[in-house]
Amino acid sequence: MLKRRIVTRAGTVQGARIWRTADAVHVDLRGLDPPAPMVQILHIIDEGEIGAVLVAHLDREPVFLYPELDDRGWHHEIVALSYGEAGRVDEVKLRMTRAET
Amino acid sequence: MTVAATFLAGAKSRLLPATIPFRFFAAAAGFQVLMWLALTLNSGEVTGFRGGVGPVLAAIHLLTLGVLAMTAIGASAQLLPVATRRPLAAFWPIKLVSWLVIPGTAALALAMYTLQTTIMIPAAIATTAGLLVFTALLGDNLRRAGSLPVVAAYGWAALAALVLLVGLGVALALDYEIALLPDHANVALAHLILGGFGFMGLLALGFSHVLIPMFALAAAPARRSSLIGFFLAVSAVMVGALGALAGSAAMLTLGALVGLGACGLHLWLMHAVLKSGMRKRLGLSFVLIRVAWLILPTTLIVGIAVLYGLAGPNGSTLFGFLLVGGWLLTFLLGVLQRILPFLASMHATRPAGSGPPLTSELAASELLKLHSICHLAALGLITVSIALDLTWLAAIGGAIGLVGSGAFAWFTATITRRAVATHR
Repeated sequence: MLKRRIVTRAGTVQGARIWRTADAVHVDLRGLDPPAPMVQILHIIDEGEIGAVLVAHLDREPVFLYPELDDRGWHHEIVALSYGEAGRVDEVKLRMTRAET
Repeated sequence: MTVAATFLAGAKSRLLPATIPFRFFAAAAGFQVLMWLALTLNSGEVTGFRGGVGPVLAAIHLLTLGVLAMTAIGASAQLLPVATRRPLAAFWPIKLVSWLVIPGTAALALAMYTLQTTIMIPAAIATTAGLLVFTALLGDNLRRAGSLPVVAAYGWAALAALVLLVGLGVALALDYEIALLPDHANVALAHLILGGFGFMGLLALGFSHVLIPMFALAAAPARRSSLIGFFLAVSAVMVGALGALAGSAAMLTLGALVGLGACGLHLWLMHAVLKSGMRKRLGLSFVLIRVAWLILPTTLIVGIAVLYGLAGPNGSTLFGFLLVGGWLLTFLLGVLQRILPFLASMHATRPAGSGPPLTSELAASELLKLHSICHLAALGLITVSIALDLTWLAAIGGAIGLVGSGAFAWFTATITRRAVATHR
């Protein structure tokens, strides 16, 4: 359901894979050029249907996303990071949680 | 060290220390104040400026090197390592750029203002050396930007324009001492085209493909259309610069017409981005950006009118002002007003028990509102003053611009202090 809404929404980029685990919604945004991953994450958050935890799988750290998350009252934390050739970041796993009000 | 701590340390290392990008942004804000001050104090020479060393040429270089290039260097140093996913191998080369370019620009502008050609040449050489180091750094980063082909293509073309630009700049500076150029005015026009439409213009168009979608929260423009726009823009700069060097009105006209095509396509792509964006209320910074977008094609039309004697006696002055003070400065200030609060928020310390300063709070500063209003008013007044040859109006416009630039410098100083304090 989530995937269909994101893919069909005008102005968004196709290719985001979404799944649920017991404690979070996951979205795989690897392979998308900036700023598509940031836009997809904010779109998912702004839809307001994912509960309190979202985990994004990315291939670069979305540093410009952080102020947007702060503005929306969400915390973020890098929970996994892997490096490839010559110290280049290959994968970032970012856990975002809605702040308690 | 825990696993989490290791991750956080890694994340922090990918952001440059705040002192590096912010030294360029702070210098740009300071040079903008000096630029408006120079224009205000010498408003009698602004409307009919035809070139030559003096206060107006100093003001132009405070704007181009001091504000535009300084901002481009700071933004590139901050954004590209993030985009290419690899931090800078060392900080000293980008610091070296600042040590050469910031005092070099100040000395160059002072030498031009006070007609000291003996100071001008070493200052031009120091600035050139700094720009070449920056070229090497940017080139090294672009080489690794495999997933951003449009931005990389614009970046490479901008770098090529920069190399030609600084070469012609040094030749122009030397020409004041040893008269080596066959036609100083033609080379000066090529220098202006390579700087305004080439280096800075192409960087502005290239970064727009990431920054405007990021600000509007939209997908980037379609790659194929963007690359067509890139080829049109680069062709326009090449034909225009060659036309200027050859003194050919036909080639300059062709360059301007191709440039209008590139401009039309770029604006259409940006319109589509804004239309599809999740964020509809884009704030005052986008008023500046939209005004800049209107000025870009206007500049090219005025340029064609100048070639055929249809722009009045001050047409060439109007063309130069619209290019660097209108399109480029207005666009860049719009981007800076948007991006500085972002960067400050990322770098600033978290007060105990609360989050970092929110981007929206920083962006809503009254100082930024004052700056935007004053900039647009100054732009309008100086444009009219040049068109109608009214020096008193140029003085009023300059004074208003000075007030606005002071507000922006105050804002920049405030957030620079907050960002830099984190790293002490």
